[in-house]
Amino acid sequence: MEIHEDQILTGEEGEILQEIMNIAFGKSAADLADVIDTHVVLSIPFIKIMQVTELPVYIRDHVKDYKKISIVEQNFWGRFKGDALLIFSSGSGKELIAMLQHGQVEMSSFESDPIDILERETLMEVGNILIGACVGKLAELLKDVVTYTPPMVVVERYYTDALSGKQFDADKTAIVLKTDFSFTEGNVSGFLFLVTSNDSIKWLKDALRIFIEQYE
Amino acid sequence: MFQQIFDAINIGIVILDKDLKVHGWNRWMEVHSGIDESKIKSSPIFDTFPHLNNPKFIRSCKSVFSFGNFCFFSQKLHRHLFPFKTTSYADSKFDFMQQSCAMGPLRDENNEIKYLFIYVQDVTEVAAYEQKLLEMNMRDGLTGIYNRRFLESKLSEEFNRHQRYGGVFSLVMLDIDFFKKVNDTHGHQCGDFILKAVSSRVASIIRNVDYLARYGGEEFCCLLPETGIPAALTVAERFRAAIEQQETNYDGEIIKVTISLGVSEFRKGIESAEMMIKKADEALYRAKREGRNKVVVMD
Repeated sequence: MEIHEDQILTGEEGEILQEIMNIAFGKSAADLADVIDTHVVLSIPFIKIMQVTELPVYIRDHVKDYKKISIVEQNFWGRFKGDALLIFSSGSGKELIAMLQHGQVEMSSFESDPIDILERETLMEVGNILIGACVGKLAELLKDVVTYTPPMVVVERYYTDALSGKQFDADKTAIVLKTDFSFTEGNVSGFLFLVTSNDSIKWLKDALRIFIEQYE
Repeated sequence: MFQQIFDAINIGIVILDKDLKVHGWNRWMEVHSGIDESKIKSSPIFDTFPHLNNPKFIRSCKSVFSFGNFCFFSQKLHRHLFPFKTTSYADSKFDFMQQSCAMGPLRDENNEIKYLFIYVQDVTEVAAYEQKLLEMNMRDGLTGIYNRRFLESKLSEEFNRHQRYGGVFSLVMLDIDFFKKVNDTHGHQCGDFILKAVSSRVASIIRNVDYLARYGGEEFCCLLPETGIPAALTVAERFRAAIEQQETNYDGEIIKVTISLGVSEFRKGIESAEMMIKKADEALYRAKREGRNKVVVMD
């Protein structure tokens, strides 16, 4: 399947998007510190356009240093819509529990709940916040409002089991916005991929044009 | 006109402002909390529900106002956000209504986030159903003690833990002697009755850290964490004596049975959970060969 002309971002559009991402992520990092009481370092995002079917291999190649991964997946929809995949390195869930608890036992059900449920919920909460921060800021800059589905989470699985090509619709194009993040406190890092289908690309091209017109 | 939906819907809706003061409280919330909107409006939510003043809830509110996030409070971890009574009086396993909640942003015409909403869904019925399924999955239908599947997963958990961290635990396998004769003489219903009597008698002796399961037809297995052979032997002997003394009255007839038992212990050289069962089973069969109503320890 060929990628159509109107599904490709021009070099200029790519640069604008890159710039918007830089602004969005800069803002997110600052606000995240306020929300989760710890500083999150978000790398300068990297943008790539590819067919959705290439995505599992691409993701696999980028997380190959991880023996096991946890994935938080969340759909978002506005005029800009798609799927956010947040990939944590092995052991992140337990680190995050320790970080968020800050020595205080906040959950009343802490004792009776097996650690894996707590781990799952913690990954889900942090994933939800990180995805919301990145997608939300990006949408805000492009004057859009998005809604989210509840996050789904896959905990500590080998990446070959966790990601397969089956769930991706073959004739869609993906804009992959990849960033890696790490918490200054605690040994947690991972990748964020935003996958949007070609439905969103036309809107995105318009939004990028409107965005840059403000400055011209 | 559409305001009516707010009060007619079978979901709780709460609206909070940026200071987390209550701005809206629909009829569902009024009914289940017993608090009228006029009473709670404009007061901080923490005044009425101080338990919400916790890091997770505050984090969630902040992320709604900062990013326009949606946050989700699942029943599995939180049970409920608002402590309300359950609506059904019949057969409720829960002290409080089980809730699935979410919060999200409310924006004004300039897209600025002014409020957050929380919706509260009563999922008590689903949670009860799920709990029942979980129970059915781990318990034996006839005797009510754990089933074989549950025991095997518990055993492999214990085994892996001990292999990593050392320590000791034991397994007692027990089997009712001449059970076929009970069935043949008194019928299968009587056999079932004996199975229940034996399992509940043994269950009354174990500590609450032990796991008693029905392993097969008339065979039971008891997992004793943090217990070595000497203590396990004492426990097994107590089982044996208790069943020997027990008289079961079935349909006016006094029936007595005995049990044979085999004990195994986690120690060096035992390489799998299955091997522990095998060792206990071998000891049990030696007890049978040596005359029954007897406890035998693995070699």
